[in-house]
Amino acid sequence: MKDIFVPRRMWRPRGELKRRYDVVVVGGGSHGLATAYYLAQRHGVKDVCILEKSYIGSGASGRNTTIIRANYRTPEGAEFYGQSVRLYEKLSQKLGFNLMFSQRGHLTLAHSDRALVTMQERAEVNKLLGVNSSVIGPAEIEALCPQLDVSERPTWPIMGALYHPPGGIIRHDAVVWAFARAADELGVDIHPYTEVTGFERANGRVTAVETNRGRVECGQVVSATAGWSTLIAGMAGLRLPITTHILQAFVTEPLKPFLDVVIVSSQLHVYVSQTDRGEFLIGAEIEPYTTYCGTGTLSFLEISARHSIELFPQLERAKVLRTWTGLCDLSPDYSPILGRTEVDNFHVSSGWGTYGFKAAPIVGVTLAELVATGKTPDLIAPFALERFHTDTLVSELAAAAVSH
Amino acid sequence: MRLPAQTGERIDRSTELSFRLGPWDVSGYAGDTIGSALFAGGRRVFSRSFKYHRPRGLLCCAGHCPNCLMTVDGVPNVRVCVEPLREGAVVEPQNVLGKLDFDLLRVVDKVGGPFTPVGFYYRTMIRPRRMWPLYEKFLRNVAGLGKLDEHAGHTRRYDVEHKKARVLVVGGGRAGRAAALEAASQGPGVVLVDESDRLLRSELAGVEVLAPARALGIWEGNLVPVDCGTVLYRFRAERVVVATGTIEQPLVFPGNDLVGTMFPRAVRRLIRDFSLQPGQRAVVLATDERGLEAADDLGEAGVAVERVVDLRESPLRRIEAQARAGRVRGVLLDDDVVECDLLVASGGRQPAYSLLAQAGGLVEFDPDLGVLVPTEHPPGVEAVGSVTGEGLEKVDPLPSYHGRGKCFVCVCEDVTTKDVKRAITEGFDSIELAKRYTTVTMGPCQGKLCQLPSVRLYAQERRVYETDIGSTTARPPWAPVELGLLAGRHLEPTRRTSLHFRHEETGARMMWAGPWRRPYAYSDYPEQEVRAVHESLGVIDVSTLGKLLVEGPEAAALLERLYPNRFGDMKPGRIRYGVLTTDGGRIMDDGTVARLSDDLYYVTTTSTGSDAVTAWFEWWNAVWGYDADIVNVTGALAALNLAGPRAREALERLTEDDVSAEALKYLDAREVEVVGVPCLTLRIGFVGELGYELHFPSPAGEHVWDRLVAEGAVPFGLEPQRVLRLEKGHVIVGQDTDSESNLLSAGMSWLPKLDKDDFVGKSAVELFAEREERELLVGFRMEENVVPPEGAQVVIEGYPAGRVTSARRSDEVGAIIGLAWVPSDRAEDGTRFEIRVERQLRGARVTHGAFFDPAGERMRS
Repeated sequence: MKDIFVPRRMWRPRGELKRRYDVVVVGGGSHGLATAYYLAQRHGVKDVCILEKSYIGSGASGRNTTIIRANYRTPEGAEFYGQSVRLYEKLSQKLGFNLMFSQRGHLTLAHSDRALVTMQERAEVNKLLGVNSSVIGPAEIEALCPQLDVSERPTWPIMGALYHPPGGIIRHDAVVWAFARAADELGVDIHPYTEVTGFERANGRVTAVETNRGRVECGQVVSATAGWSTLIAGMAGLRLPITTHILQAFVTEPLKPFLDVVIVSSQLHVYVSQTDRGEFLIGAEIEPYTTYCGTGTLSFLEISARHSIELFPQLERAKVLRTWTGLCDLSPDYSPILGRTEVDNFHVSSGWGTYGFKAAPIVGVTLAELVATGKTPDLIAPFALERFHTDTLVSELAAAAVSH
Repeated sequence: MRLPAQTGERIDRSTELSFRLGPWDVSGYAGDTIGSALFAGGRRVFSRSFKYHRPRGLLCCAGHCPNCLMTVDGVPNVRVCVEPLREGAVVEPQNVLGKLDFDLLRVVDKVGGPFTPVGFYYRTMIRPRRMWPLYEKFLRNVAGLGKLDEHAGHTRRYDVEHKKARVLVVGGGRAGRAAALEAASQGPGVVLVDESDRLLRSELAGVEVLAPARALGIWEGNLVPVDCGTVLYRFRAERVVVATGTIEQPLVFPGNDLVGTMFPRAVRRLIRDFSLQPGQRAVVLATDERGLEAADDLGEAGVAVERVVDLRESPLRRIEAQARAGRVRGVLLDDDVVECDLLVASGGRQPAYSLLAQAGGLVEFDPDLGVLVPTEHPPGVEAVGSVTGEGLEKVDPLPSYHGRGKCFVCVCEDVTTKDVKRAITEGFDSIELAKRYTTVTMGPCQGKLCQLPSVRLYAQERRVYETDIGSTTARPPWAPVELGLLAGRHLEPTRRTSLHFRHEETGARMMWAGPWRRPYAYSDYPEQEVRAVHESLGVIDVSTLGKLLVEGPEAAALLERLYPNRFGDMKPGRIRYGVLTTDGGRIMDDGTVARLSDDLYYVTTTSTGSDAVTAWFEWWNAVWGYDADIVNVTGALAALNLAGPRAREALERLTEDDVSAEALKYLDAREVEVVGVPCLTLRIGFVGELGYELHFPSPAGEHVWDRLVAEGAVPFGLEPQRVLRLEKGHVIVGQDTDSESNLLSAGMSWLPKLDKDDFVGKSAVELFAEREERELLVGFRMEENVVPPEGAQVVIEGYPAGRVTSARRSDEVGAIIGLAWVPSDRAEDGTRFEIRVERQLRGARVTHGAFFDPAGERMRS
């Protein structure tokens, strides 16, 4: 509160790169910053730096649609994201920065009986793992979101929904800044505009990181570079089973808020929420092809506008203000690739698809533990890169042909 | 009050239009905008600002700034300064608690300042945690601008039109017109898009003019959508010429948002277009020649020009607009107070580069001009005129002027210079970070009015050159666009079979099955339809099955390599069940494959899988280069499954061909003429009874159906079919299997032939064969009379260990039966396991083999 009257620096200005750090984190997004923070806070590992090629939070952390939820299909996923949501719930207080996490409820709509079965399955898994989620019918949906048309009029009438009360939205940039501030306070060096250009390797380990600002020797490396993870891993001589796709979203001009819950329709491939500023924030499916091109597509705007109006005809005259793209790293089973790799001291947080932001705090906690102790926490063991060698995948996909 | 008629005025004084502002009747002339008509009627306050609820009046009169956002005929956030006036329009103020001239939330401006600096919400309302929902409720109550009718339905019809242009010129200013004429002299196919409707089309011979219209962006391949109100033109242009000109920029001084502050061109528009006197006593602050022209305009309109300051010659340090009730009443110029009610000020003109930048062009600060200019254009895109910086004078105002009061960098978001300075102090030292923290450039103007001022301020505060600051990424669209327009005609594709209307007439309850509409059942008692199939005869429309013809000398080789099982050794006239596997050896789709001749196969797929399977076949065929053609005949053919003990007898009455048990054996495929229609008849048994799948041209659908029904076949829907197939333990791909299921875990280990040279996914299937599966798909019977919902969990020690994928009550079996994934050590026949149903654990036992007619005698009979 006192910061209101006296402006206080959030973090130190960028300093010189030291010759060596115990841990070099590549990527100044929510995952990298959270990992650095928990390394310093929980394990006393403070000789840590963050190398970020642009400004902090410039990648997926600042481009996602800010939805937080834990109602995943697999037990592994539900347990992992369940812990993430619990961390998020107290993060504002822990970091002393209001992340504006509003758990106003998350509804995944079902427009077919097949979808309803998938919801049922998720709800059952969630309940067993202590994640609050249940299948509700049109009447309950209407009570939670009276603006939604639950009649038979739409082409795809709403048959039910997976209701996840703890789900909601958060201020994504605030998460990045709060972790950055806290990490910086504990002595972590944050180096924005410092691009990794290569790794020096010896004996199956990374010995130093090359950047556009010089060379840094390192004890361990954590790569948390959604979108570029295959390129960074490639520099370390590692191949990840990941394809990179763009995901697009848009906001409307600010309107007086009326939509409190988060509405998702996988049939119509849109998710809709309304921010505390009043903008409707609408996102879609990833594009099916691989690209790094950030200019986006018109067809995305057209299709998601059509689908948004299918759900909310009252948005017909609302105006699109701004659209943007982000990069998503897709793994074959839609679950992350987290932890150790074949390169001894090179750890990854990647393959998050569209789910990465939801996992930031728990990734920080678990990855920090791994880096500090050398032991992979049970919670993330199923997400090891090794699973693609042993073929023990963790499928978040319900059916081969149907995406999330 | 209007001025005497001006030459070239746009209003038609002979046609008066009346409209409403809230409860008041107001009027204007044809040719007015809503904004000009309201101004003529004496209205000066048009809106209340986003955060501080400060009164705001006309500023740019060009549709850029947020100051005139109002709700018109229920549509929020309309820029009334450019919205044409129409008879009967209903205009309402927005973001106001109380009245436009007396907004109760103005209190935020009066006392909120010290408590609500930039990002205050990040520092406050943190504890206690439980209070946040309440705080947030308050925040949401005051957030947002316009209000949508929460329960409105579709109100408008929109259309999309695809067009081509050789040259598409955006902007009808001097440079744009010249470029259009130049291009037109070389041939047809030239289109010019302009936001205003003032262009003289006669001067643009050979050019197609779209106005008023707005190019929204330039996407890859020079795809330019043009907003024409209710029609979206999707242009593909060989060349795009951007001639969007410039946008007037605010001068940053305390009180620069007060009602009565205007840009020079706004003043000119009010005077020349609408014959309005913008004020009585004016002060003009100019940074370029254009700014000075305002003084002449004002003089002509009879406004007393109290002071003209050319900031290039007589620079000031202190400019402070002084207010009475939110309106300009004077201005302090260094130490000199000049009384006025109109303050015309501008910080120069900024090239309107957004379209170019959005399309991938580069933008840099030009120190010679003092503005941001586009430096590198995307391929196929050119820029002409002042948008390139051409013809601009250097402008060099102070990034901010001293004085008391709030000094706005961004009027959309109420961001003051103090906020920006504070952000820098706090460490948000890159312009992109500061954008996210202060929200500068994120408001309705999308940076049109605040990008340049914030760059100038940043450079000053960080003591670096503007060239080192960069700019925030320009994002489409160029101007806000209605969702309805982007959506176009509201069409959601629906697939219906040729029997769709027959089903509806018969009283079927239709449901979605993938992209198809299918009958769920024909009454509320699907079990009766099940019984009919078991006891007598039923017919189901299976036209939704994907149907492919694979033909050619190497058709057999292609299928051999696509499927894990064998098709090359089949005799013509025989059928085999096939399952497709992915590269990873997972189950992808299933169906039957009939060999019709040596070179011709007829393949069916699941109803939702036909497109994916077609693409899959074509992909691999292209990779391998086989001499085989693939034709998707899904829509061309109807398909009916006639099933039940009476099926043969019924078929015999409808055909003269021999369909006896000897002539048409189980898994035989023959052409049979049924009621005069040549039908490819497949003898298969998905539902477990004697059955014939008739595939024939779609147009004959109702004819064949009607005759089968007349023979006593009871129509049955998807639900009875699901029960029937479950009794046989037949798997539905996508329901009983997921993206991880493989042939071995799904109980079809007999299917893959690992001695084949190759097939898609073979190495993975070989791996599966060597290891133990984690989980297996098994049949089960419930111990109690409870039907577990599909998706219910198999629970071991409180942890999810498997799941039910299908479950139904079967009268025929006399039990509740289903399919479930269970851990492989619990998959033995008779093993008991527990399923969680409505919070209770219910027992079930693994059952191997089909529940009904395990030997398959009935379907083979």
